[in-house]
Amino acid sequence: MKQYIIRRIIYSLLILAGAIVITFIMVRLLPGDPIRAAMQQNVDLNDASIVEEVRARYGLDRPVHVQFFMWLIDFFKGDWGTSLSSGEKVTAMFWRRVPVTLELFVGATIWAWVLGIPLGIYSALNRNSWLDALFTSVSVFGISIPVFWEAIILIYFFAVFLQVLPPSGYVAFFENPIENLKLVLMPTFVMGTQSAGGLARYVRSSFLEVLGKDYIRTARAKGLREKAVIFRHAAKPAMIPVVTIIGLSWGGLIGGSFIVELMFAIPGVGRMGLDAVFARDFPIVQATMVVVSLNVLIMNFIVDITYGYLDPRVRLIK
Amino acid sequence: MAAVTTEEFEPRRKSNVGFLAIVRTLFKHRLSLVGIVIIVFMFSLAIFAPVLAPYDPLEQDLDNVLKGPSIKHWLGTDDLGRDLLSRVIYGAQVSMTVGVACTVFSLIVGTFLGLLAGFKGGKTDQIIMRLVDMVMIFPGFIFILILAAALGPGMINIIIAISLFGWAGAARIIRGNVLSTREEPYVDAARAAGASQWRIMFKHVLPNSAAPMIVAAALGIGGAVGMEAGAAFLGIGVQPPTPSWGRELRIGYTYLATVPLFSIAPGMLITLAILAFTFLADGLRDALDPRIRGEGKKM
Repeated sequence: MKQYIIRRIIYSLLILAGAIVITFIMVRLLPGDPIRAAMQQNVDLNDASIVEEVRARYGLDRPVHVQFFMWLIDFFKGDWGTSLSSGEKVTAMFWRRVPVTLELFVGATIWAWVLGIPLGIYSALNRNSWLDALFTSVSVFGISIPVFWEAIILIYFFAVFLQVLPPSGYVAFFENPIENLKLVLMPTFVMGTQSAGGLARYVRSSFLEVLGKDYIRTARAKGLREKAVIFRHAAKPAMIPVVTIIGLSWGGLIGGSFIVELMFAIPGVGRMGLDAVFARDFPIVQATMVVVSLNVLIMNFIVDITYGYLDPRVRLIK
Repeated sequence: MAAVTTEEFEPRRKSNVGFLAIVRTLFKHRLSLVGIVIIVFMFSLAIFAPVLAPYDPLEQDLDNVLKGPSIKHWLGTDDLGRDLLSRVIYGAQVSMTVGVACTVFSLIVGTFLGLLAGFKGGKTDQIIMRLVDMVMIFPGFIFILILAAALGPGMINIIIAISLFGWAGAARIIRGNVLSTREEPYVDAARAAGASQWRIMFKHVLPNSAAPMIVAAALGIGGAVGMEAGAAFLGIGVQPPTPSWGRELRIGYTYLATVPLFSIAPGMLITLAILAFTFLADGLRDALDPRIRGEGKKM
């Protein structure tokens, strides 16, 4: 097991290094001169010497590979650079936004669990009933619906038509808990829909597989009540693969948060990254991308280790 | 003489019965039938747009902006007085083109690299698969968004961006299948008969590892349609005045309270398109799996 973990760590670091290189190349490819874009307002751009001076201050005049290693060392020292457009430290901007995005993630996960797991279990237990058919269609719908359209429909229905929820905005939980919950209700639902649909399908097939096992027949044969069979004997083995799939949906959640934060005007990490892409704010885009890939990597790592722990066969291959 | 022997075995290898069985299962699968109908509808919209659309999608009528549905304009007009129905019909062209093109490119590159990785193994496998891991560590939408922004506006660039992400998933799927196919006795037989490596790869291993790719292709088209719409929603990719569902949705979103159809109609079509391909993929997955095919499963 120890060896397996060490191997996974080395492998993860390798992937992270590659992802950082890819990020760096993509960000450098963004068209437009960030220095000129950022300076537009205050300086006479015809004065080339000023532009070059600022460029040198941000280290953007050095060869690309030098920039890369400078940035890499700084990044792991905790210095993610300075925003080109606001002049603020990227780390400060980032940490201020993390709680906001984290709240959305927690909310989305709750929606996914609350909707996905019961639906999946019900479908599995009542296979081929009309409700199973309905739930299966609904979960495919949940997986397919694009977040931006779902957001629009919800905003139209609850904020414009019924006027029971505010359309967008954000208030910190500790400032006004009720207002906060009202505001995150729709965005978290939108973010969680896809995971909920995927989870329902996964739970259904996982349960169906377990219910066909010999030990379930034995449990029934010895006269246990159906409830005991399902919750004491079937649920545990059926939920083990499900728990790990939850980790894998992390990447999708992050992707969804970019658009959701934009549409509901929520000042989170995704919104920051998205704005930075359009403003050509290199340091922010870079930092966001690396943090995002690091997140997915850690989640995958946890999933791998869990799998290795639960299933000894996994440890031996590769 | 060799050609004659192959011909002799051709009928059995093609196995028409199997193919028909797959089609039959597909049509029995209710949801995938719905999917097929929607897909045919979408492609008809794209191909026959000039005939179907009641107006020129680019023709502005500034006296009639942001009007709700009427007899003249079934879905109303947009912020420049253009007929929404015509724009939505023409929007199918971008979505379907991007969906199919991205999937074709992703599959060609992904299949080739996945086949190479799975068949050659060793260092080749390591290099290709680590590259796949590096790409797939990014959430797809974010990767595509930044890449498309870097490449600049235009339909070609959004296709390149989506394909540069899509190949990785295709490569991973095909490699997994190749790993088991290459151990089959007929591969050993071909090798013993003196077939070259490339011949074995493309003639024997590839055709027998390709079934899951059909499912992946259906899912891929739906996924690409969604990605393109998402990028267009953010102003990346296809540029105005070309009608595109994602862009319509974005502009319509601004007028949600007054002209809801402006954003709801294009969004409905995006969702329907993705849904249709997901349904089709579900049906194909069952139809291609001989164990399920026999059961005559309905859902």
